Amino acid sequence: MSVKTLKYEAKGAQTLLREVMDKSGQNLLACYQCRRCAAGCPVGEETGVTPDRLIRMILLGDRGEALSNLLVWKCVACYTCGTRCPNNIQTARITETLKQMSKKEHLEPLRPRIADFHNAFMKATGHMGRFNEIEGMGIYEAKTALKELKKGNVGAIIDEMKNQAKLGMTMMKKKRMHFKVDKVKNKAEVKALYRKAKPGKGA
Amino acid sequence: MELAYYPGCSLHASSELYDIQCKMVFRNLGIELREIPDWNCCGATAAAKTDDFLAIALPARNLGIADATGLSEIVIPCSSCYSRTLVSQQRLSCDPELKESINAELGRKVEGNIKVSNILEVLKPRVTSGEIVEKARKKLEGLKPACYYGCLLTRFPCDVPVTDDVENPQGMEIICRSLGAEPVDWSYKTDCCGASASVNDAEQSLLLMSRIMKDAEARGANCFVTTCPLCQFNVDAYQEQVAQKYGLGKRLPVYFITELIGIAMGFDAVEMQVDRHFVDAMGLLKELKLI
Repeated sequence: MSVKTLKYEAKGAQTLLREVMDKSGQNLLACYQCRRCAAGCPVGEETGVTPDRLIRMILLGDRGEALSNLLVWKCVACYTCGTRCPNNIQTARITETLKQMSKKEHLEPLRPRIADFHNAFMKATGHMGRFNEIEGMGIYEAKTALKELKKGNVGAIIDEMKNQAKLGMTMMKKKRMHFKVDKVKNKAEVKALYRKAKPGKGA
Repeated sequence: MELAYYPGCSLHASSELYDIQCKMVFRNLGIELREIPDWNCCGATAAAKTDDFLAIALPARNLGIADATGLSEIVIPCSSCYSRTLVSQQRLSCDPELKESINAELGRKVEGNIKVSNILEVLKPRVTSGEIVEKARKKLEGLKPACYYGCLLTRFPCDVPVTDDVENPQGMEIICRSLGAEPVDWSYKTDCCGASASVNDAEQSLLLMSRIMKDAEARGANCFVTTCPLCQFNVDAYQEQVAQKYGLGKRLPVYFITELIGIAMGFDAVEMQVDRHFVDAMGLLKELKLI
């Protein structure tokens, strides 16, 4: 296994660290690399980057790696790392923060489907005030299909459609599919919160 | 007595059966669940991952509505909704500026008074007091559930009171034992099923679920029991796929805790919609002569 050398960028180190600490509310300087977080991380094996490594990247000012590594995208927000951290650092808050920073800098997500899913969820929620599974999944699948189409991966689209159709049919059979639209009456209030979150942009 | 109630989106959709069962079980315990009016989605994990403001503000609107009911406690059966609401309440209590900014948009302002409870918090004291056993019509003999808690009932991204042991919670075991079931001791009760990764990072989620399912089987469980609709859906709906990919000897039904309590209380299984599971959940109950 090859390990990438972490780069130290003196100038960027302080600003990156401060930015992540401010936005996540986590004191990264308290990490003494005991790696209890790494031992409990359910996706650590697949990402190759464990929470302790992520904290080191930030401390060393490696902005490129910190904003674009598999842990940032594949983190399942199970909060095991933070619960076991002897210094109460919630690394899941750090991955959430880095995801938002990466979006703000218009970096291509390493796992576009994960990003698309969460964006679709928020779009559907903003639309009706409640998350309607058919609407949310529809937005997500359309986004995903369009991206695959642009890359010419028709096979991937067909596979995805087959999988979802299979699950959908079983859900229908088990009466777990819900067709009635569930919505908030006072949608204006929910939309006002969305506007406040992103001034200048509607829900 | 009356409790405020937040069902959340999944209890109005794919996990509607959990909503029905909650109301049936609580009513039999003398608790009326009053659904708070015009609630919105809590934002779930998606808000936390995409927008720090909405992650607090969406549950805050519900908290304002809940405070306005004048009731002292709100029960939230979905682990994700529970976690997000509790985290929002805690954050607003220590960030008056944020609270003011959110309240400025709300008709019903967040006071922060109402106690936010998960379902086990409400049920457990009723085991201790003997109320649940008193209402039981039959013993759940032969049922060996693997009590599956998942992530969000005991682990939080900030300091909030945790209502059970973080690494080895016992709430569901206490309830199951009091009803005559024999919950198994196992190692994956608080492990992550992947949540929405089952949709957007399927390989990862199936791997996580395979570990959970294999351990439950190895420990001799004959079913799962859970309180979280997302855990329930994943472990139930994807069990066949996990079996094909990783090899499982058995298929275990995945019950909601309310189903087991309801069966013990003598409710009709079909009325509780136990027949809406992906892995057949009626067969085992019939085999054990519980229905």
